[in-house]
Amino acid sequence: MKARLLIVDDSMVIRNLIARQMLDERLPPIDLVGLAGDGEQALAIAMSRKPDFITMDLTMPNMDGEACIERLAEVLPGARIMVVSALSDKTTALRAISKGAHGFLHKPFSEEQLVAALLELMS
Amino acid sequence: MNYRALNHEDIEVFSEAISAFFLNMTHEPAVVRTAYLLDGTASPLWGDFNGVIDVSGGFRGSITFSAPHGMLSQVLQAIGEREHSVDRCLDVVGEIANMMSGRARRHFGEELAISPPSARLRTVPPAAARATGVPFAIPLRWHAHEANLVVHLDIRR
Repeated sequence: MKARLLIVDDSMVIRNLIARQMLDERLPPIDLVGLAGDGEQALAIAMSRKPDFITMDLTMPNMDGEACIERLAEVLPGARIMVVSALSDKTTALRAISKGAHGFLHKPFSEEQLVAALLELMS
Repeated sequence: MNYRALNHEDIEVFSEAISAFFLNMTHEPAVVRTAYLLDGTASPLWGDFNGVIDVSGGFRGSITFSAPHGMLSQVLQAIGEREHSVDRCLDVVGEIANMMSGRARRHFGEELAISPPSARLRTVPPAAARATGVPFAIPLRWHAHEANLVVHLDIRR
């Protein structure tokens, strides 16, 4: 069965970059269930498409990543969430993990770092 | 409220952020030149696309990445993006400013609050709260294109 992935980032360039990396042969087969540009969109897609894995930006309009992680932990507790953010300080990472995130990838990232982080999230 | 201007160590953080972006995302390093003060005699050197991050929380001002269309097209190509439209260039110039602000937050601490990026073609979005100190420009060269990171920031003492 394919892993179901939702990508959340206010940058379409970053959403596309992560989506393209799903085809990397080191990763298990992945079904992209949605692309969201903010936390509100992410919640709506997550409720209907039930992803197993979510990559989550933090600084976004409407609903930010932290608030979205908190809501997702309530409504979709089985989903594993990896924060992908430019906010690379330790406090931010620890706060995101305390809200329900399972991993953290700092921007800017290389393709190698992204694949390694996705592998860890899906392991 | 008392604010101080940026010092040499603060500026170095932004130079490192530029290097990290180009090396990680494009695998090709940028040549980062010496920062200089954008005083009254120097023009701000705005490029085709300007991505701005407003900062707050013990800080006041903005961080702007300003680049020509040619550079952003090549950055998009280097990261595998097929579409090099105005919208994609606005997206990526804002994202670059965002990544550089994120790196600054690691240096300054979590009190540095960062807005989502805003980006404009040929103009610079107005800052939510202007800094009063003199802005710094950090020029860089990548693939024969010139761009600037303009840091206009006051730090609460």
